[in-house]
Amino acid sequence: MSTENTTLKDGAALYGYLVAFDKVDELLVAAAKVRDAGYKKWDAHTPFVIHGLDAAMGVKKTVLPYIVFLAGLTGTAAGILLQWWTNAVDYPFLISGKPLFSLPANIPVAFETTILFAAISALVGMLALNGLPQLSHPLFSSRSFKRVTDDRFFISIEARDPLFDTAKTRELLESVSDQPVEEIEDLS
Amino acid sequence: MPPMKNNNETGLTYWQSLDELASTPEFQEAVQREFPGDDWDRLPPATRRQFLKVMGASLAMAGLTACRWPKEEIVPFAHRPEGRTPGVPEHFATSMELGGIALGMLVTSFDGRPIKAEGNRLHPDSLGALTAIAQADILQLYDPDRSRRLLLREGGQQYVKGWSDFEAVAAEYFAGDGTGVAVLTGGSSSPTRAMVRDQFLKAHPEAGWYEYEPISRDNEREGTRLVFGTPLRAQPKVDAAGVIACFDADPLFDHPSSLRLAREFAAARHPETGAGARLFVTESSFSLTGVRADHRVAVPSSRVPVVLARVAHLLVAEHHLELPAAAAGYAGAAGQEISEQEIDFAKLLAADLAGHRGSGVILVGPRQEPAVHAFAAVLNQVLGSTLEYTADPDPDRPSHIEAIGELAAAMASGSVKTLLILGGNPAYDAPADLQFKDHLANVPLSIHLSLYDDETSQHCTWHLPQAHGLEAWGDGAAWDGTLTMRQPLIAPLYDGRSASEVLALAAGLRVTSGYELVRENLRESASAVDFEGFWRRILHDGTVEGTAWDIVQPRLDPGRLAVAVDGLRSLLDADLPSADRPEVVLTADSRIWDGRFANNGWLQELPEALTKVTWDNALLVSPATARELRIDDGEIVEIESEGATIETPVFVLPGQARASMTLALGYGRMAAGQVGNEVGVDAYRLRTTKAPHVISGATVRGTGRSYSLATTQDHFAIDTSGFKERNRRVGELVREASLDAYLANPEVFHDHEHYPPLISLWKDHEYEGEQWGMAIDLNTCIGCNACVVACQAENNIPVVGREQVLNQREMQWIRLDRYFKTEPGLGSDEIDNAEVVFQPMTCVHCENAPCEQVCPVAATQHTTDGLNAMIYNRCVGTRYCSNNCPFKVRRFNFFNYHKDLAETSKMQFNPEVTVRARGVMEKCTFCVQRIEAVRLPARNDNRPIADGEIVPACAQTCPTQAITFGNLNDPKSLVSKSREEKRSYAMLAELNIRPRAHYLGRLSNRADDAGPDARGVPHGEAESHGKETA
Amino acid sequence: MSTPVSYLDNTGDDPAVRARLVVGDNDFHSVTEKVCGIVEQPKPPKFWWVAFAASSSLTLVLFACIGYLVTTGIGVWGLQVPVGWGYAIVNFVFWVGIGHAGTLISAILFLLRQRWRTSINRFAEAMTIFAVVCAGIFPGIHVGRIWFAYWLFPIPNQMSMWPNFRSPLLWDVFAVGTYATVSLLFWYMGMIPDLASIRDRATTKLRFYIYGVLSLGWRSSNRHWHRFEFAYLLLASLATPLVLSVHSVVSFDFAVSIMPGWHTTIFPPYFVAGAIFSGFAMVVTLIIPTRKFFGLEEIITARHLENMAKIMLATGMMVGLAYSTEFFVAWYSGNTYEAFTFLNRAFGPYAWAYWTMVTCNVLVPQIFWFRKLRNKTLVLWVASILINVGMWFERFVIVVSSLSRDYLPTSWGYYRPTAIDVLTFVGSFGLFFTLFLLFVRFLPMVGMAEVKGVMPQAHLDRPGHRGHGDYHGDIAGVEVV
Repeated sequence: MSTENTTLKDGAALYGYLVAFDKVDELLVAAAKVRDAGYKKWDAHTPFVIHGLDAAMGVKKTVLPYIVFLAGLTGTAAGILLQWWTNAVDYPFLISGKPLFSLPANIPVAFETTILFAAISALVGMLALNGLPQLSHPLFSSRSFKRVTDDRFFISIEARDPLFDTAKTRELLESVSDQPVEEIEDLS
Repeated sequence: MPPMKNNNETGLTYWQSLDELASTPEFQEAVQREFPGDDWDRLPPATRRQFLKVMGASLAMAGLTACRWPKEEIVPFAHRPEGRTPGVPEHFATSMELGGIALGMLVTSFDGRPIKAEGNRLHPDSLGALTAIAQADILQLYDPDRSRRLLLREGGQQYVKGWSDFEAVAAEYFAGDGTGVAVLTGGSSSPTRAMVRDQFLKAHPEAGWYEYEPISRDNEREGTRLVFGTPLRAQPKVDAAGVIACFDADPLFDHPSSLRLAREFAAARHPETGAGARLFVTESSFSLTGVRADHRVAVPSSRVPVVLARVAHLLVAEHHLELPAAAAGYAGAAGQEISEQEIDFAKLLAADLAGHRGSGVILVGPRQEPAVHAFAAVLNQVLGSTLEYTADPDPDRPSHIEAIGELAAAMASGSVKTLLILGGNPAYDAPADLQFKDHLANVPLSIHLSLYDDETSQHCTWHLPQAHGLEAWGDGAAWDGTLTMRQPLIAPLYDGRSASEVLALAAGLRVTSGYELVRENLRESASAVDFEGFWRRILHDGTVEGTAWDIVQPRLDPGRLAVAVDGLRSLLDADLPSADRPEVVLTADSRIWDGRFANNGWLQELPEALTKVTWDNALLVSPATARELRIDDGEIVEIESEGATIETPVFVLPGQARASMTLALGYGRMAAGQVGNEVGVDAYRLRTTKAPHVISGATVRGTGRSYSLATTQDHFAIDTSGFKERNRRVGELVREASLDAYLANPEVFHDHEHYPPLISLWKDHEYEGEQWGMAIDLNTCIGCNACVVACQAENNIPVVGREQVLNQREMQWIRLDRYFKTEPGLGSDEIDNAEVVFQPMTCVHCENAPCEQVCPVAATQHTTDGLNAMIYNRCVGTRYCSNNCPFKVRRFNFFNYHKDLAETSKMQFNPEVTVRARGVMEKCTFCVQRIEAVRLPARNDNRPIADGEIVPACAQTCPTQAITFGNLNDPKSLVSKSREEKRSYAMLAELNIRPRAHYLGRLSNRADDAGPDARGVPHGEAESHGKETA
Repeated sequence: MSTPVSYLDNTGDDPAVRARLVVGDNDFHSVTEKVCGIVEQPKPPKFWWVAFAASSSLTLVLFACIGYLVTTGIGVWGLQVPVGWGYAIVNFVFWVGIGHAGTLISAILFLLRQRWRTSINRFAEAMTIFAVVCAGIFPGIHVGRIWFAYWLFPIPNQMSMWPNFRSPLLWDVFAVGTYATVSLLFWYMGMIPDLASIRDRATTKLRFYIYGVLSLGWRSSNRHWHRFEFAYLLLASLATPLVLSVHSVVSFDFAVSIMPGWHTTIFPPYFVAGAIFSGFAMVVTLIIPTRKFFGLEEIITARHLENMAKIMLATGMMVGLAYSTEFFVAWYSGNTYEAFTFLNRAFGPYAWAYWTMVTCNVLVPQIFWFRKLRNKTLVLWVASILINVGMWFERFVIVVSSLSRDYLPTSWGYYRPTAIDVLTFVGSFGLFFTLFLLFVRFLPMVGMAEVKGVMPQAHLDRPGHRGHGDYHGDIAGVEVV
């Protein structure tokens, strides 16, 4: 485990601390500790979803489902309106002696638009809520952090956090991980 | 070689381009080719503009003919000629002569372009209808393969000449008393032509005059000569006939008056008002009359006299008919071996004839020997048939076969030094044994006037381009003699001249213009005080009323009767044809006639009524005979007769007489044009002067090779399950009942209908205002194909060619579905005889059209007046509509079928109808352009559209008026009335598609399914019915 | 635990034992190595080049055929009246059907907690997208005036006219369009974390930037994972009804018409079952060679193949049931036209096609009853190919044989494809494989993040479960808020 990059270059603002874990369990325990310490601006980084971690971190349930639901309704309405307006209002034509507007014939399209709107909102909503895309981030400056998408688990605490204290926070992190705590330089 | 000079102003500007070409090697090459210059794209870009100029010219001409004043100069369309509005179609009465009988037409001309021919209501043989051939003739006018210049062939070289060149030499060609000069022409009924002929023969008394038509009714003529001493022309009438007995005769289709006869027949068959007209037919191969027959027996052509003799025998023996001693003298007939079927037929017919004395008629076909005609004439006289006679216009004329024979002999003997051939194509269609082509080589100077540089032209010294019927002045006589005028609708496109004009030139007459000749001749004959008025009137009407020949009351000449009877007896003793010594019957083709229409795409692609074969002729063989000879459908067979051998594909046709095979003439042309070359096989090679119609004792061998005939129906050999299902469905689709069953139970046509009530999921649409609908009477449709060509001409329907038809991509909007009806339970391999029914099928304009809802772009939708409209420019071509059409009446442009169309052919297009692009679906529109043409003015005058004011092309030309069109919301309209009829039914009604076109059930009137006294019943019933409905 | 024959064999029918989803001694890193390694190798292996050369030249054939078609006309195909639809529509339905397996694996199996899906879903989704691409081509080019095909979309045009929403073809436009979009989103979203892996391992600038951009700056934040997981769940639950609707709508093209043999109410379920059937067959056909060539046997295990064989057996029998139901209804309904259509299918001119279909789709899958056979990779592979053939013929039989003999015997016909028809079809395979080869070369073909989530190291053997990643249980000494 390299010790370089653990100290901040002079004059650079501090983004926060980053500490790594090898095992899922260590991470979970540590996460719970950090949560209990009352930190708000901190995060855990894992190569894959770890269940229980949300609880351990006290992450609140996302509003995404509601967004998607509303988008879905919009899709339905849009689908029906499109068919009603184009075929029955704007340019009506007589087809096979059928009524200009009849729901049964319009359900398939309305259904598809529902799904389409909802699906797009799910992805876009997720990215938006996550503030992605964000191509550059202070954490990317850490070399060890590159393993976060491979087999390493991390906890980062931001300096912006009101409880953040260079000494106390480092102490806390050292107490939960046997690995060195990195100081992450903020983007200038 | 001098570049062609052209004095005719009309042509000048146009052919300028060729003058420029003349020196170029391509042009030399083009001339050497069979069809010089047929390749229009080779002409310089200027052509099109110049072409339009010519159009202006022809336009002006037409305009002038419209105001009946000849003027041989060009008026550009820029200053509008007197009394014509551009864009407004005009109609001119004119006529077409085929085989020496003139048929009156009314031609629609659009800005000087004749675009469509319809029948002339005033003409006795047309009554407003027109045959498929006569309608298609207009395409011939614009045929780019037509000859465009005079050609002089000398010493293996070929020179392009102008008329002036010919005029210069004509004088010396036709100098002196005409010794060594011979003229060969087709049959003609034109008084003008006759006058010019007399002038010519006056000028050249020694000249020989020969008339030859490959297809004619000479046997009938000779038959009357046999019994009456002088040739007479039979004028059958069937409207009042109770019984019509046809012996190899096809009065409904193959007769100069067929249009009239079909109209009369249809009237006679109307269940409520008609006389019944029970139809008996004896024939070797299905004729359209045979299809409609109530009793039909298929016997070899050479057996027909036996059946006739048997009928006569029964009439005498059982029905106490008094035959003249000489005729009664024959006993042989009774002794002839004769089949059960034939006897039953003869018995029923004899009984019916005896029961209808005075209202029956016996008709004998043109392929039967004169003796048979003679004998039938005797019977008709004795039975007092509905058949009248007029004098023959030219009693001294030898028969066509004799004439061509004499000429050939003269040519062989070398006595013919100068041969002038006016029209016709003897090198191709003269009887093979005459070797006309070879003898033509012995003639030092031969001149051929012809529409095409054809087989004959290529063996003549001179080829002269002939003017098309619609380009030349002329006249003619209807079958009954009614004087019929012919006026040009357009200036000669290709600088052609009419036969009369060339003959006048040869006769050295002062006036040689057709216009002058016709007027001159009329001046002599017509005793009109005000000639110009008279001239105007007859040109307007197209015919001169009351000029029909007088009816003659012929006397049987006992002396000659014996001769006739002996002739008949010798026929009766002829031995029977058998499978290994079958007879081969040569017939005129129902489309390209004797071959003169071979280059006509409409006719080539017109499905033959029975076989549905296009682009080919095939040897029709009965299934039983085919099995006996182990010949398959579509197999190529070898026919050998008198040393001549030809190979032809076989079409196995149920209902064909055993041991009798039929082959149509007119195919296998080698110099017809791009369209007609090498299409089908040339049957003339089997034709001899001795046996021009029926070749007995031919040998037919299968070759094992097969050939795919391009049929528009039954595109592939059918499997057993398909065969069974097809037979099962016919009864529902084409409903038929006997007259008696119908009169007993008018609901008989709906007895088979059982499907759940047709309920809609939604409130049905209200159709207000005019609602167009159609009724098609299967009882009167004879399947003559006239409607198909009418539709093709009216709606700019492309010709797609044999390959595409083989791919099932034919484009005709209306088709005549043909179904065979066979005794139930028979397998496809046991069929021999069959009945045939026709069903005209086109878009039925369903109110709940399945095609509409599936179109993603709404390119087909319903109009407010109830049409199922096709919006070409909206169509993207998903073909979903066609898939979902239960009648499969939609047609798709798989390619750009107009791409290679010559500029001239485009002139025929109807400007009121869109020419469809590639990738677009099309179908019957109920002739929406005709609807609009009436609706708009009606709306302007703020008046309702009268019933019958709108007539679609198909209905207009239908000889039997089987198609009725009109407003369904008007209870008094004809179409509403026919909807009321009990016979009316909708096809596939169970699909709840609500077709706008209904069908009227077909009625048969068999003698044996009528009760003992039932035969009389229809009439009584009919009258009362008539009253009730009236 | 029963000791497996080979360490690779994780098949087995002992219910007490949960089969290992990843075999061999793999940890998180080795999985990353195995999967990313394929993308990172400087140049692809020889077999890749061979395959790519073949498939890309076939793709050229496809485009050549299309070019000829566009310039000449639909007539270059064997279509006619009555058979107005032929190869093009058959291929369209065939390819759309193929697509369905991908969505099924990624969405439906996900909702059903089928954890074994994780190692094949990426792969299957990719296949979905490429299949839909191939499918999309055909409706586009089969119209008579291709240059106006855009009129099928409700976009204002010079005619100020709108499409006809009563037409099933228009429903198709929306269904297939939505399907393509959603599949793409689903596929891409699932790939973001893996793209990030490649980014983080990048040794070259180019790769770093490309994958960096593609991964949108993913930093594995758990707060992100939380929403990601929800989005994934939502997409899965949206894709599930969608995938069922798509082939139902496709089947409406036929069911809504009035043609005997088309107008059938069982078409929607019948088509969906068939689609899944053919889709799994195609996955198997592709995955067997791929796992071999790229040495992924430890991740895409024998157990995966066996499960897919079982699914094919099930869906194959559903399809068989549909076939027999059609016949029963044709007879029972008393509709003579319908009755004849099916008689004609089995014994008419197209009987050969019909029996090919029945053999491949109903008889062949029966071998999967036998464990020995379904675990023989080669047998499985050959069978899957036969099933693909059979499913293509199913569409051929439905489209062509029904049209060739409809109501009026006078308009009956026989459809023969032309060389162009065949080449276009073959060419579409070229396109499919080309896209597929590019995928395995440049994108992570196994969802690493998901596979890691189901590995023993992630403590999987505990009860209880929620959501994505399939991690079970709660953590000692942690009280959940």
